[in-house]
Amino acid sequence: MSKVLEKIRNWSSAPGALGVLGLGLGVGLVIFASLGAFMVHANSESFCSTACHEMTYMAAEYKDSVHDRNRTGVRAACNDCHVPHAYIPNYLAKLGLLSDVWGHFVTHSIDTKEKLEAKRYELAKRVWLDMKSNDSRECRHCHNTTKMDPEKQTEKAQARHAKAKREGLTCVDCHFGISHKEPDGPGPQELGAADQ
Amino acid sequence: MARNRPLKLLAKLRGWTASKKSIVVLLTGFVASLAILGLTATTIVYTSTEEFCSTTCHEMTTNVAMEYKGTVHDKNRTGVRATCPDCHIPHSQVPLYIRKMGAVHDLWGHFITGSINTREKFEAKRQELAERVWIYMKENDSRECRGCHTAAKMDPEKQSEKAQARHAKAKKERLTCIDCHFAIAHNEPQGGVGPQELEVDRSLISKGAIF
Repeated sequence: MSKVLEKIRNWSSAPGALGVLGLGLGVGLVIFASLGAFMVHANSESFCSTACHEMTYMAAEYKDSVHDRNRTGVRAACNDCHVPHAYIPNYLAKLGLLSDVWGHFVTHSIDTKEKLEAKRYELAKRVWLDMKSNDSRECRHCHNTTKMDPEKQTEKAQARHAKAKREGLTCVDCHFGISHKEPDGPGPQELGAADQ
Repeated sequence: MARNRPLKLLAKLRGWTASKKSIVVLLTGFVASLAILGLTATTIVYTSTEEFCSTTCHEMTTNVAMEYKGTVHDKNRTGVRATCPDCHIPHSQVPLYIRKMGAVHDLWGHFITGSINTREKFEAKRQELAERVWIYMKENDSRECRGCHTAAKMDPEKQSEKAQARHAKAKKERLTCIDCHFAIAHNEPQGGVGPQELEVDRSLISKGAIF
């Protein structure tokens, strides 16, 4: 290690001083560009739905739901609902991936369909509470409520949305079990602060 | 004396790097790369927002942004939108960078030639500007449309019979989105040809997909 340092020192005492600066610049570019590319890759539908077999169960349930296939072909894939759209929460979520790696390689917490079903309610509850706590931030990244045209919605939807607004509900309070199977147990509206 | 200043700086740098501070020089380069990448990325993100595009120059505010308001890509049943960058900024890395550099052309028009700085001038150039966008979209097979609309994930059964028939016909005739879906977010130019009448060199399609 000290040999490498000495080499750098020898270079940099020569006219190659700028070379050391450039080296740092180059190393930085590679590292940060790699980080950025990793973030993009780890947010792709192809990564999420195929990298671990645990997620292929989730991906199979999602297939042909309205967020996958619909009239216009405008979709929301895994990351649109499940990866934070804000910078800091996004970085934190990526660090949180360690928990998934741990579960996949060490504890095997949901490595069979049976184990997944046994944990389904707990996992769903975790997502619901998270979405309730941030006012369905990920939903709202695509669905801009001020740009919704009530006149294009059904009367039932108009009435329900008005009611939800009055009662201070958030998207996931009603729109749950829409992309994955609904677990048995209390839904998002029944979950209160005590469940956090 | 002023000519010696850069040499002095270099000598100082060399002085540091000959000592144990060499690692500091390395780190300086590292931090500089973070700043450069960070600023570049932030600029691209910021200049690709609806707010930037529709408010920075009055040419955009008083013409195209105003016309877009209330169209189906702005306001609809679900509130899922496509704003300026979704249709007009390439959804592909290299074309994106090229387009961002091309924005210099917009600055030239805004500050020097004032090419569309009044509603009258804009109307006079509308056909020309529309054709430029249509040709670009035809050449890259409506890449930006497809950035949101995945044809393979469209459910024909949820479309009207007319739409189903038209889409089938378009597929047979190898049309692209923009051939029919034009003037849906901005006023249609009057008196000129539409996208279907514009000849595009078919060999450009693959090139268009890259650039």
